[in-house]
Amino acid sequence: MTTMTTVPRILRLTVVGVRTHVSYMSRSPLEITFAVLVPLVYATLAVYLFRAADDPDRLLTAAVGAGLMGIWSSVLFGSGGAVQNQRWLGTLETLVSSPTPLPLVLLPITLATAVIGTYAMGATVIWGTVLFDVPLDFAHPVLFLVAVPVCVLSLGMMGLLLAATFVLLRNANALANPLDAPVWLLSGMLVPITVLPDWTRPVSWALPTTWGSRAVHAATSGGPSAGEVLAPMAVALALGLFYALIAVLVLGRVERRARAAATLSLA
Amino acid sequence: MSFLSLSRALTRRVVRTLRLVVVGGAISYRALFNWTTPPMFIGTLLVSPLLQLLFFVFLGRQLRVADDRFYLLGNAVVSASTACVYGGTMAVANERRYGTLGAVLLSPRHRAPLWFGRALPYVLNGLLISVFTLTVATLLLGLRIPVGALPGLAAVLLAASAGCSVFGLALGALGLRFRDVFLVSNVAASVLLLLTGANVPRETLPEWMRAVGDVLPLTHAAEAARELSAGGGLDRGRLGAELATGAGYAVLAVVLLAVFERGSRRRATLDLM
Amino acid sequence: MLAIEAKNLRRTYSSRTGFLRPRRTVTEAVRGVSFEVARGELFGLLGPNGAGKSTTIKMLNTLLLPTSGTARVLGHDVASDPVAVRRRIGYVFGGDRGLYDRLSALDNLRYFAELYGVEPRDQRRRIAELLDLVGLTGREKERVEGYSRGMRQRLHIARGLLHKPDVLFLDEPSIGVDPVAARDLRRTVADLRTGGTTVLLTTHYMAEADELCDRIAVIAGGTIQALGTPDRLKSRVQERDILEIEAYGAADEHLDRIRELPGVRGVAAEERGSRQAVMVQTERGADLHSRVLAALDGIRIGRVVTREPTLEDAYIAIVEESESGADRGPGAAAADRSEEVVA
Repeated sequence: MTTMTTVPRILRLTVVGVRTHVSYMSRSPLEITFAVLVPLVYATLAVYLFRAADDPDRLLTAAVGAGLMGIWSSVLFGSGGAVQNQRWLGTLETLVSSPTPLPLVLLPITLATAVIGTYAMGATVIWGTVLFDVPLDFAHPVLFLVAVPVCVLSLGMMGLLLAATFVLLRNANALANPLDAPVWLLSGMLVPITVLPDWTRPVSWALPTTWGSRAVHAATSGGPSAGEVLAPMAVALALGLFYALIAVLVLGRVERRARAAATLSLA
Repeated sequence: MSFLSLSRALTRRVVRTLRLVVVGGAISYRALFNWTTPPMFIGTLLVSPLLQLLFFVFLGRQLRVADDRFYLLGNAVVSASTACVYGGTMAVANERRYGTLGAVLLSPRHRAPLWFGRALPYVLNGLLISVFTLTVATLLLGLRIPVGALPGLAAVLLAASAGCSVFGLALGALGLRFRDVFLVSNVAASVLLLLTGANVPRETLPEWMRAVGDVLPLTHAAEAARELSAGGGLDRGRLGAELATGAGYAVLAVVLLAVFERGSRRRATLDLM
Repeated sequence: MLAIEAKNLRRTYSSRTGFLRPRRTVTEAVRGVSFEVARGELFGLLGPNGAGKSTTIKMLNTLLLPTSGTARVLGHDVASDPVAVRRRIGYVFGGDRGLYDRLSALDNLRYFAELYGVEPRDQRRRIAELLDLVGLTGREKERVEGYSRGMRQRLHIARGLLHKPDVLFLDEPSIGVDPVAARDLRRTVADLRTGGTTVLLTTHYMAEADELCDRIAVIAGGTIQALGTPDRLKSRVQERDILEIEAYGAADEHLDRIRELPGVRGVAAEERGSRQAVMVQTERGADLHSRVLAALDGIRIGRVVTREPTLEDAYIAIVEESESGADRGPGAAAADRSEEVVA
């Protein structure tokens, strides 16, 4: 049976998996609150701050930035906790004992957490338009609709690495909570990274979130050149893929260790 | 009954109540607070608020809406909210999660000391976090705070975390009635970021948001703390307002706890997960 | 080729507690288990809680690595070739967790069909077949959160059978299931065996094991205490009579007093609501009726019957022997061997 790993099978598995987990998460009031209400609070905060700064042209940037922050939070908590969540559900053993390689089992879950993050983007943009009359004057409306899914894909792949490393760490939750704000900051989701100290620059460049945000922001309020959107999009995808590949290596170790240390069930 | 035995009986009652407040509170903190392990405590309660503070400081620098001092003090005060709001919620709502709520409500003891004893550890916890955040952030950003302002700041931070803890307790009371109370505390914690004026100058907010902020914990404390740090002295009016807000939430918590406890017997909502 | 082949399987668990001064506790759960299951056989693994049943099953289905020893499923080594094993096995466990309860049964099955590599063109037919087999047709579009325990258990079984596994591991499938559902479950399992599937079943219910299993291994304290057909196991207690007494409030001291009577081979008490069933195994023909009742002096006694031994009695005899042989309770067996090491 070589059918498990052919490209069409992997694509199909990914689509079915993402659909399954997105609909599962969408039915949880807790997930939806995290994904929608909290980003709305941040969007409101950002809009008032940008207004106070006499920067009315950038209100859409504020709303989109809050949306990006929401996507990252969703990936951070969703993907970071992906394994733990399946363990609590009691489905982890069933997933691991399936003949599908573990990375292919987990990738749809981490992608789903990024897709759930787009609820935040939708919510913050609509919120801005309806409540604050933020004009939807996207510089590249079509590219925006491409950049967001690309950003989601890239973050979902990065999520696989989060999922993999967080299983290895005994105190992953303790790590997840403080990782929220620094990535917002380092990726330039709301504030350009140019205001940060120079030594932080390499960290920013290594994060797919930086390039994803750059693409989305360029599509929102950038210059006329489409390259400003497409180039960071390509970098985001490449980085995401790179992290996903590292994740595959880490997961091999994770699975072996879990079988040795008996950490799959809730025992 | 002689006067002596009466006073002895009274002393015994006071001691018993104190025991319920202190010992009961401490045990319930260990049993019900999810973040007492050292990594969780450090990560979620100490590092997380500090990084959030930095996020807002840089946002403020970029937008030039307010200076570092504004964000530093505002966020130091608000940093207590994670422990206080979630802690207060967990102090009540986690009883349901562990299936122990029924046993607690069967206790013949007075409710007020039972529940306030539970809030007490979070007051101290919140204070510790605020002091830590303030100290580290001041050192990191090179801000100077006059030494004379320190006692006043301590008083303000204590009032803030006390008010915030009873606010959390009032939210936790909702846990006697509703299933997903953590949703409420989650939203409440982020609303505090916006409406208390910790991160956005309140004068830029619309009237109704300012009005809501006035009756939320932390708002007045944040303003008092800013004035103190700028060498403006302790504004007793603001400290009083913070304490009054806290007292209001204390009353609300007691009322809600009593109402929902009674209601739970009628509706049999206690053991529903 | 054998379906399952376990040789000297051992498994220890180590757990760490404490943050600043971590302590490592090592517990031996399985201590040298060997058995073979032929293809098409229905093999039962019985034993008290904590005896090592689930650990054994999880080593065989690749979820746990054996600490030492080897095991093969359909010729594939479970430690070194897990994916080959996973393609051929199904795993179903009891209890009501392990399903996506906010999704419908159909969505659950579609997702797992994908993960278990069911060919896309076969999925629809296979899922319909299985829903029919487990009697969930017509309810497949409802969310699982509204399902009863029995329905969830049936869905679990359907999930475990999606890819037509050659070997099925059933870990206490009937736990918490009502008697009618349990009967349906037994019928399903029996049908599977008839269809040629090899089944390894763990259970607490002796009647279930007696009815279904071709052979049974009784495991206690991490080792196999007895292995054979149900009839063979029963023959171990053939030369005994069972005196079953309904009692109200028999304590350990009463049971000890009975245990000391000459001619008594074993005593066990089982709680049944407000009363207990005290089972006394005596040598055949040793009429101990009055002496046993005398030992229970002072407590209320209900019905008293003498009967032929069942598989349950054989099981109790085997477990009790293993306890007295090892001079410790089976529950404590694993724990008291543990050693503490400061890491």
